[in-house]
Amino acid sequence: MKPEVPKTLQLLGTKLLFEIAPRLADDYGQKTASIIGGLLFTAAEEWDRAASRRFVENRELRALFADAVPLVRSAGLRTRLASAAEETDEDLRVSALEQSNATLRSLLIDLHAHVETLQSEEALRMDERIWDELRASVERRAISFWPL
Amino acid sequence: MQELADRFARYVSHRRPQAESVQVDSIARIHGGASRETYRLRLRYHERKREVERRLILRRDPPSSLIETDRSHEFRAYQAFHGTAVPVPEPLWLEEDPQWLERPFFVMEEVQGCDASLKGLSEGPASAHREQIGREKWRILGLIARTDPRRLGEIPDEVSPERCWERELSHWERVIETDSLGPEPVVQATLRRLRRNPPPPAQRIAVVHGDYRSGNFLYDTSGQIRAILDWEMWHAGDPLEDLAWSLNLLWSWPDRERVGRLLPREEAIAVWERSSGLRAAPEALLWWELFTCVKSLAIWISSAREYADAKSTDPMLALVGWIIHGMQERITLELLGRSK
Repeated sequence: MKPEVPKTLQLLGTKLLFEIAPRLADDYGQKTASIIGGLLFTAAEEWDRAASRRFVENRELRALFADAVPLVRSAGLRTRLASAAEETDEDLRVSALEQSNATLRSLLIDLHAHVETLQSEEALRMDERIWDELRASVERRAISFWPL
Repeated sequence: MQELADRFARYVSHRRPQAESVQVDSIARIHGGASRETYRLRLRYHERKREVERRLILRRDPPSSLIETDRSHEFRAYQAFHGTAVPVPEPLWLEEDPQWLERPFFVMEEVQGCDASLKGLSEGPASAHREQIGREKWRILGLIARTDPRRLGEIPDEVSPERCWERELSHWERVIETDSLGPEPVVQATLRRLRRNPPPPAQRIAVVHGDYRSGNFLYDTSGQIRAILDWEMWHAGDPLEDLAWSLNLLWSWPDRERVGRLLPREEAIAVWERSSGLRAAPEALLWWELFTCVKSLAIWISSAREYADAKSTDPMLALVGWIIHGMQERITLELLGRSK
């Protein structure tokens, strides 16, 4: 699509924020239109990275699960982790990546809760690594620019 | 909007049969407040050969609400505090019958010449008085922390100082469970930590406002706080809950120097301690600050759910789901000592 989608969304946002919103008669309409304009900027940023951040996060989570398998005491959880660690993302549509991301993040919650019950040095190191991943996951989703 | 004005005029005629020539004009919706639709309006009528003009605030239930509370619950707080040292607008009418405005609503006197915005605290005429506003804000919160919930009709026996934390945490945990659009590993880790390390018993059970923050009170250009608003989440509980909520960095983002864009954190806490007669022990306060993160994230998660399910088309709900949720997660990681 030309012009590129992010550029188009940014220009639409600019139009709404700086030309249309100020001309609206009432305060409620102005503020609502401004928020929609701001959200178009956010959508532009997310459009560009949507597949990448999910793909990277899924890869990181699978690597973490592979390393976690030996220290997990629960056989059921071990099997789920080992199975997830072997998967790859073949379908690169954002909806498909999001679906596998949700499955992996759900498994991360189970792993984290389990690791918190363990006392070994390896478990403590894994706990730290999970927190590193959680911090990275928040950073991946952060919006760099909000125009309002 | 004119139809709403006309319908409200008919309602006033019903409530005040002695009023003649009832007119409603200058009606405008106020932005913000996803829990109820808020309108400002002017009411005029003749009564006993006298012309009366009143500026009012109308709070109507939306078709769908983020925070599922009974409007009579909020109205009761205004009734209890009106005329006390905790300033609130005068509550006038509570109407549960949907025949008048399609949905239940209540009406208050407008406190005029004030601002509630965060922006006004850091720029504009009131910003010169922001420290005064800050001291007043936490002093009033201390007064709320001295208020016996029975004054508002709550039965304090239902919540004990030892278990009040659990009631609140379980409530918001259920909201997260019901409304999440996807897994929330940061929230879940925080919930586990809070349950593993409960806070000490509340020093007293008192009224908890539930959403005490910059943005939810009216201030004027001379630095006076004229009204505390948005009581829809009030309940009986540990006063530290309100203090922690008021200190959330989200309300001052990106300013880390002044909580609520008003005061240095330590000063805000000291003012509250003097006014409430309670102590904010660091460990207990940290528990409630982490609880604040969970509650706040639960509200943002519900916002995203409301929008995704098209129960509300207010773009503010998409904004909080996309952006504010992530900011609150960053604050959570900081409080947990997990940020770098």
